[in-house]
Amino acid sequence: MIIKDFPPNQDCSHENFPPSIDKRDFIKKVLKGTIAGSLFLVFPMDISSVGSTAVKNSETTNNIDPTIKLPEEIPEIRDRQYDIHKQNFAFIVDITRCIGCGSCCVADKREYNVPDGNYRTWVERYIKDFDDQVYVDCPNGGLDGYQKPRTDIPLNARDTFFVPKLCNMCREAPCVQVCPVGATFTSPDGFILMDSDRCVGCAYCIQACPYSARFLNPITKTAEKCTWCYHRVRKGLLPACVEVCPTGARKFGSLNDENSEVYKILKGPGVLTVLKQSMGTLPALYYMGQRLEVV
Amino acid sequence: MSKHALRIIMVVASVVLMAGVGFVVKELLIPKSFGLYGPYRADAIDEETQRVLRHGTNASCFGCHQYEATIHLTGNHKTISCEFCHGTYSDHVSNGRKIATLPVKKGDEITTLCLRCHNTEIKARSTMVIKTVGVPDHLKKQNVKLTHTCNQCHHVHAPLKYINEAKKITGLMEVK
Repeated sequence: MIIKDFPPNQDCSHENFPPSIDKRDFIKKVLKGTIAGSLFLVFPMDISSVGSTAVKNSETTNNIDPTIKLPEEIPEIRDRQYDIHKQNFAFIVDITRCIGCGSCCVADKREYNVPDGNYRTWVERYIKDFDDQVYVDCPNGGLDGYQKPRTDIPLNARDTFFVPKLCNMCREAPCVQVCPVGATFTSPDGFILMDSDRCVGCAYCIQACPYSARFLNPITKTAEKCTWCYHRVRKGLLPACVEVCPTGARKFGSLNDENSEVYKILKGPGVLTVLKQSMGTLPALYYMGQRLEVV
Repeated sequence: MSKHALRIIMVVASVVLMAGVGFVVKELLIPKSFGLYGPYRADAIDEETQRVLRHGTNASCFGCHQYEATIHLTGNHKTISCEFCHGTYSDHVSNGRKIATLPVKKGDEITTLCLRCHNTEIKARSTMVIKTVGVPDHLKKQNVKLTHTCNQCHHVHAPLKYINEAKKITGLMEVK
């Protein structure tokens, strides 16, 4: 981003200070501004007349290229009316099954052409020793996998594991709260999405996200984030990272479907945790086998 | 007309004018679907939905590659996505036609790819989830040259295919 330096001394010269404006002029200008502003707010926007296109589009099913034979991985979505208000999805990461192969990271980069150095999802390696010292690393976001053990740390490790990270889809999303232009929002079906047409690239959401799931795309200069592959989910397909995970460490599904794996896990007695629970963001991304040290 | 009446007319006229301008400007600046579900442009949801699919599924690959499917689906590697090793569906097929050939990994690339998951030196890999090996320990133990690549013994799509066949022929061990 180009940050323009203002020409020196513009508006700051002490010669014209205080500016030449008399009291009457000043009051007139303030009053004019106040009246115009309040009128602007008085006229309500007619919601019923706008947005008709959006309603029409979300009711139609998504036309998939008929030549691709795609199985329906999330039932009851394809070829039926998608009621955007009645959906409930969950994502579960089982870190006891993650082997740190980085397939998910590769799939994610390919699905979205994510620029180098930015990650919508990544896999961290945690190493804990007997003194409870925790070492975390994440070379290239896990894109190249983990080919070598760490040699730069003492070798009395007692617990090592991989933690895949992605958007937590908070029900109380800090990024949505802070966006000044309404470019990021929680859709009625619970996804936090980006409107790159409206984004002004202020990066406030990037600072607000406690999970560092967002980045500023260096090409478009707008914020970007993991969407749990919303375009795939709406076609009844699993997110790309879930699709390629060889061990089933990443699980995704609809909670409206009582046969889905995520429904059974969430309903069962297993221990599920979320990241940074104390922040009150209420993530829809759950972790199984999570250690206390993971943040 | 008195001066006062003129003043009132001017005030009313300016209010109407400002309201009109305000209304027009607001119509121009606010996107059409803004506010349908909340303080954002609802059309953005549909735009996200229209994003191009780059990954298919294994089933979409097996639609044409039936021979590979018969091998892949019988082995321990059946959960692996074709597209992870070979590249995305959209780079290969467009509108039902083949547009490019996806690369096939050869030689040392194969070993690097296998060790991405199977390297036992990365301690975090649970034996409940994956079988891991150390290289070159595994090669020494199997009495093969240290220059061997994994696919010289293991079929990449079904890793125990050749090994089970060899055992069956030599009668060294009962095949499960």
